Amino acid sequence: MSRLKLTSLLLILLLISVGSLFIGASTLSGQQIIDTLLHSGEYDFIVNQYRLPRLLLAIGVGAGLGLSGSLIQGVIRNPLASPDLMGISAGAGLAATSLLVFYAAAPVYLLLLTALSGGLIAATIILFIAYKTKPTPIRLALIGIAISTFLSSGIDFLIIVNPVEMNTAMVWLTGSLWGRNWTQVPIIWATLAVVLPFAFWLAWRLDVMGLGEDCATSLGIRPSRLQLIALLTAVILASISVAVAGTIAFIGLLAPHLARMLFGHDHKYLIPASALLGALMLIIADTLARGLQPPLELPAGVLTSLIGAPYFIFLLQRYKAW
Amino acid sequence: MPLSIRYILLFVCAFILLIFSFSYSLIAWSSFPLDLSHISAYLFNFDSQSIEQQILATTRIPRLLVAILIGTNLAVAGVLMQGLTRNPLASPSILGINSGAACFMALASIGVNVLGEVSSLVSASVGGLISGALVIFLGGFFSARSNPLKLILAGIAINALLIGITRAAIILADDRAYSVITWLSGSLASMDWQQWQQLWPTSLIGLAIAIYVAKNLNLLALGNEVATSLGINISFTRFLSCMAIILLTASSVAVVGPIGFVGLIVPHIARGLVSNNYLLLLPISALLGSCLIVWADALSRGIAFPAETPVGVITALIGAPFFVFLSIRNKAL
Repeated sequence: MSRLKLTSLLLILLLISVGSLFIGASTLSGQQIIDTLLHSGEYDFIVNQYRLPRLLLAIGVGAGLGLSGSLIQGVIRNPLASPDLMGISAGAGLAATSLLVFYAAAPVYLLLLTALSGGLIAATIILFIAYKTKPTPIRLALIGIAISTFLSSGIDFLIIVNPVEMNTAMVWLTGSLWGRNWTQVPIIWATLAVVLPFAFWLAWRLDVMGLGEDCATSLGIRPSRLQLIALLTAVILASISVAVAGTIAFIGLLAPHLARMLFGHDHKYLIPASALLGALMLIIADTLARGLQPPLELPAGVLTSLIGAPYFIFLLQRYKAW
Repeated sequence: MPLSIRYILLFVCAFILLIFSFSYSLIAWSSFPLDLSHISAYLFNFDSQSIEQQILATTRIPRLLVAILIGTNLAVAGVLMQGLTRNPLASPSILGINSGAACFMALASIGVNVLGEVSSLVSASVGGLISGALVIFLGGFFSARSNPLKLILAGIAINALLIGITRAAIILADDRAYSVITWLSGSLASMDWQQWQQLWPTSLIGLAIAIYVAKNLNLLALGNEVATSLGINISFTRFLSCMAIILLTASSVAVVGPIGFVGLIVPHIARGLVSNNYLLLLPISALLGSCLIVWADALSRGIAFPAETPVGVITALIGAPFFVFLSIRNKAL
């Protein structure tokens, strides 16, 4: 049953991906798009250089954020945990923005490393606070949001003091796939390719962790090491996604929740499902962002927060452990 | 209640600090070198030929006055909100009133039909009112087992939603993104006498209402039953406080954009200095709030001189760590 659902999710993803190639400022027929994909031609720029890389990026970034969210929620056992609510996205964003502001010609690997270290530092800070104060899940979310507010006002500050191009600024503030091209595609996909096996390796171990730490130890798992690996994986995924597309809010929170509604608590299905759902959400958001009022572009992050914020409120209404 | 020597000393200190900050803010970080003699010359024998005095008269003085009043407004609104909700983390920016007002102003400025007709102050007030009511309702403030954290998180979620709508509206309308980002962070950069004229009447009404309800809030802090038995009309007090909060916040946002965290920080510091007595708490918060904004404004000019940083970014950089500290320390939440 779960396999069937996973396959149909994959099919929907494919369908919507193909659909998104049709939407944009200029209208192309199906025949034209297939022709262009097969042997380039007149619309080469629109399809092959613009819409296709953007689609692949949306899939990669969305999957990365969804995966990261499901790992964090799996380890911390907190329904409100996610890379953006815990300040990891904002930390990576702040580090990447400051690199771009002070050293605009930075090579790509340096940008990735900087974003990664920013994400790691933010994660370390919040985990240190969590370790010291043992907060309730809801209070941890509050502390995370406060840290993320602080870091994103740092981003605001850097951008306003050093006016870089506006599009760069918008990307870091709200997250957008506008102006991305083929150079970013291999980065996110390579990260996914490295990290996905890890995530599957973690899957049943996270399930066992759910039985409690003692039980997990007796079944041959070292809880602290497992938590460390899972969190590190999640931080890497979130930071690389931010380095590519800016801070896109709420996907890391929503995708795992939707996945849990569809597939229950089995991480073997939960992990791929959150990746697929994250990708699906970002494709839809990005397609809407460029299709709502062409040729104007909305940042995709605005659309995800328009969907995500009401869902967050819904979660609060349902949350029983007050 | 007789004012003890301690409180008198405290107020004197606050006043000295205030005068010092005002004069520092008037002369510091200017592209033209200004010094104290120019201020005294401006005050006592104004010479319209002098460039320095003209700078003071047309940009610095109105900016300072607006900063003072904004600080007062936001701090007093914060005190009222924390008193009303009995929630130490409540403040106009966190409960969504700032961003509601900003969102409706943005919608009005891009010409959403209904809103385009009325003045910016009215649309800001309506926006603040709606978002504040939404947060209080969704945060379960009226439910039997209300939790202070739920209120705060609902506020944060509504904030995210409204900021999303504001950004989308602006981008769809036109491409003034940079100026809008500056305005959305709250900036005092382009203040003149016109803004001051727009600000002071509503602020005065709001502050008067706040002082009027202060005594009732003191009694309300004893609990609803005690307050009722002492002859306080609880719902009327709440209504007046809400009116004051909306007026103070909306007029500030309409003039300078949303400035966060002032209403959160100042009441806590003030409560540390004086007790929980609102008759003392309100004036001391007003003094501290205007000090904070004046200093933040001076910093916002100085930190990347000669470029201007929005003052809201400065207050957020100071306020967010304070917020973390409060949410860690406060075990009662």
